[in-house]
Amino acid sequence: MITRFLTDVRLKFNPFSPRSKSARLFLSLIPPSARVDGMKIESKMLPRHSKEPASLALKFKDGKEMDLELDKMRITEVMERVDRHSRLLARKEELLGN
Amino acid sequence: MPPRIRLWPRVICLRTTPAKPPPTLHCSYASMATVITTPAPPLGQAIRSASPVLRYPPTQPPSYKPPEVRKTQLHRQYQSLLKSSPLILLFQHNNLLAVEWMSIRRELASALAKTDAERQAAGSEDIFGSQIKIQIIQTGIFASALRVVEFFPPSEDPLNHAQNSSNLKSQSSLKIPSTTAKPEDARFTHGLSRHAHEVASNKKLKLELDPLLSGPLAIIAFPTVSPQHLKTVLSILSPSPDFPAPRRKANPDYHEPSVQSGLQKLMLLGVRVEGKVFDQEGAKWVGGIEGGIDGLRAQLVAVLQGVGAGVTNTLESASRNLYFTVEGRRMDMERKEKGEEEEEK
Repeated sequence: MITRFLTDVRLKFNPFSPRSKSARLFLSLIPPSARVDGMKIESKMLPRHSKEPASLALKFKDGKEMDLELDKMRITEVMERVDRHSRLLARKEELLGN
Repeated sequence: MPPRIRLWPRVICLRTTPAKPPPTLHCSYASMATVITTPAPPLGQAIRSASPVLRYPPTQPPSYKPPEVRKTQLHRQYQSLLKSSPLILLFQHNNLLAVEWMSIRRELASALAKTDAERQAAGSEDIFGSQIKIQIIQTGIFASALRVVEFFPPSEDPLNHAQNSSNLKSQSSLKIPSTTAKPEDARFTHGLSRHAHEVASNKKLKLELDPLLSGPLAIIAFPTVSPQHLKTVLSILSPSPDFPAPRRKANPDYHEPSVQSGLQKLMLLGVRVEGKVFDQEGAKWVGGIEGGIDGLRAQLVAVLQGVGAGVTNTLESASRNLYFTVEGRRMDMERKEKGEEEEEK
């Protein structure tokens, strides 16, 4: 997953729900130096019996915001959605010749 | 002059080659020799059955999967960990660096050593802070080991079906299980046996901890349920208002960037306390028990003493009532009798 264009990640999930697996896997895909490089990561864990669905809010460097309902997606779909925009940004960066 | 006989070497050769090979004498001699020299079996062996022999090392009963691979050994190790530790904390670790792991482990060890020193000063004998360590686990193998521990209770003693060889008049009175050396034997009760594997791989049985067992996991296992140690661990690894982290003045090492950035990537998922599963709140609740098991015992004793007094009062009241009634009736009758006597006079 391309994470260098992410600036803000907000996660909310209940670890005891089997549908929150993709939320936890998303956290494990973030590289170790992300926080040092300025990415804001906030993960909120819900209590065990809450029925609230897992959700993910992303902000990209160009200001685009993305809200994903993680409880209905597999981690591969989440990666696809994030990468689709990240690749656009990467291409723009390349064309600008930085 | 005698006639000359012509000898044709070819003809001679053809005639001399035998039609069938001559009988080999060696074979017959050999077979005769065995017949003659094999001794008869001793009489005891013919009457009694052979004494049982253990066909595998007693510490290594045959396992279903090859025992020498790392997976199997991890499985066995996790099983013994799960059986021996009543309190296990489950964490998710998201790409921690080696430096961060090292510094977190250092902080944990020093905090636990401090707790141990406090306990020693208070006169407690349970000093096991050095055994509490954070450990990364292989999630799939741990899940499988947990299934074996939960769903495969070795209900019977492995020696139940054993023959006591002392009945068979052999030298030792050692009990030897009559299991064969094959892993298919259903009588094996160790966690790596094929029987255990089949019981645990039943998909209909659901674990309470199942949703947590995915992704990168680390555990902390406690040898006993000790709220004081749990409180220390929680205040270091997932600080909250109830379990505040050590102040910068008290413990400057804890506020190093390597520790703090590591702690941001470590998430407490849940706790397994004596087979039951709790979330973060449950962990705080267990950690908040004052005085540990002794404190709980003291509370229980206080409650029971109150109940005891109540029970004696209740039980006494019935007999006391009866006594008062009968006594009242007696007094009444005596008064009547006196009255009658006075009337007669």
